[in-house]
Amino acid sequence: MNPLPPVDVEPHPWRGLAWLTRRECHRVLKLWKQTILAPVISSLLFIIVFGLSLGNSIAEVNGFEYQIFIVPGLIAMAMAQSAYSNNSSTIFQARNDRYLDDILSAPMSAWQVHLGYLAGGAMRALIIGVVLAGLALPLTGAPLERPLELVLAVVLTIAGFGALGIIVGIYAQSWDNQSFINNIVILPLIFLGGVFYSVSRLGSPWEQISHLNPLFYVVEAIRFGFLGSADVSPWLSLGVVGAITFALLAWAQILFSSGYRLKP
Amino acid sequence: MSQPATVTTPAPRAGSSAALSVRGLTKRYADGTLALEDLDLDIPAGSFFGLLGPNGAGKTTLIGAVCNLIRMTSGEITVFGQPGNGMAARRMIGIAEQEPNLDKFLTVFETLLYHGGYYGMGGREAAERAEQMIDAFDLRAKRDVEAPKLSGGMRRRLLLARALLHRPRLVILDEPTAGVDLELRHELWQYIRALHAQGTTILLTTHYLEEAEALCDEIALISDGRIVARDTSEGLKLAHGVNSLEEVYLRTVAGGRAAMTEREVNGSESSGSDPEQSS
Repeated sequence: MNPLPPVDVEPHPWRGLAWLTRRECHRVLKLWKQTILAPVISSLLFIIVFGLSLGNSIAEVNGFEYQIFIVPGLIAMAMAQSAYSNNSSTIFQARNDRYLDDILSAPMSAWQVHLGYLAGGAMRALIIGVVLAGLALPLTGAPLERPLELVLAVVLTIAGFGALGIIVGIYAQSWDNQSFINNIVILPLIFLGGVFYSVSRLGSPWEQISHLNPLFYVVEAIRFGFLGSADVSPWLSLGVVGAITFALLAWAQILFSSGYRLKP
Repeated sequence: MSQPATVTTPAPRAGSSAALSVRGLTKRYADGTLALEDLDLDIPAGSFFGLLGPNGAGKTTLIGAVCNLIRMTSGEITVFGQPGNGMAARRMIGIAEQEPNLDKFLTVFETLLYHGGYYGMGGREAAERAEQMIDAFDLRAKRDVEAPKLSGGMRRRLLLARALLHRPRLVILDEPTAGVDLELRHELWQYIRALHAQGTTILLTTHYLEEAEALCDEIALISDGRIVARDTSEGLKLAHGVNSLEEVYLRTVAGGRAAMTEREVNGSESSGSDPEQSS
């Protein structure tokens, strides 16, 4: 072994962020069967089974054929769950195996570390969303009416669920904690948020109760982007999703800045 | 062996020649454990400094505080005159932790490459350094093997290579030879000595007293979160009137319990003496 002399590395504040982002994307692509293929297949199965097979026996919903109506919600569900589960698992694993120390001791600020971890979940969710849209739109004939609103809804959804994943990954004490939040909180709330039905058809008081479900607005915002119509105003949906996303991002940033549960 | 390159560092504060300066460092964990209590420590630039103490004495907590891995309760840390929590200080520190904490998704090469990136290196520079370190630590055959598939010795090599990849001026080695075979231990000693000779300041914690004696030009003994003795190995022996560092350790760090155990052993060997009065 031959030693190499010490030399100070010039400060490049953005490089750490770029490399952490690259590492997170590297992890997503390395585990592509689990991180991308599996959620794409399960969402496609929903579209085929519920839309194409059962769709013919279900009347139109809000003026759209059923297989078209469910596509935006299923894409929203797949993207939200991917952003969440990616970030919760990568943070928890890095904490658990302590290789997070290599990040925490590096010359990166708290917000750079935060942004780097968000990027992995965002990339995974975007790949899944684009692949699903690329397959489902030609298959069902679903339109893409309001692309700008769709982009805004997708960015807010990915950021919000990515931040939620980070928060859960930081607080989690076991793998069970993460899957508990996904299976017991996110999945039921998304299903009850109108992925497979229009909330306006529920009648009182279930329609009003559904409006208390924050994930209803996620589904509605993305549905408006695809179909150009939704049960509530797109600005209300985007406003609610934006407010929740902002709160979750702020919470995650506080955790990174304070080092709570990341550093003893 | 390559020649030391020119070192360009941020200007230290006036009057500061310490690589590491710790003032009034206290760390109380959430469960109430007081790991460090008002600890002061200065490590001169260019020194090879040993930190000895039993498990739970506060060595790893001190290192964690220096490396931004622990939230300090109070105190101040500077690294070559720069605030310890700042980016300049973090760039100057390289740490090899006690437990092999390697990213399980990365190969040997990727581990080094990404570490260089986290510390601000560009892609080409980090890749070149990674290849250099792979050769320096005899990891060439394992270049594309993921960390979990490495043997214990190889993981230890990779940890050290990672700690040194960004060419830190202060290298912190937390029990670097724990659990490694004799051959690798001597190889690592040789490497660390040569690194020190090139101007790198080294802070070493170890349980092997002979390792500290052989490598360090100054040793501090830590017990219950406080520095209880500090000098050269010879100075410590002279001050305590003993012939070995082990005896110094037993008298200072291990404290009364070890001394009592020693007295009890001596007492049982000498007939009729009262162990309580033998000292």
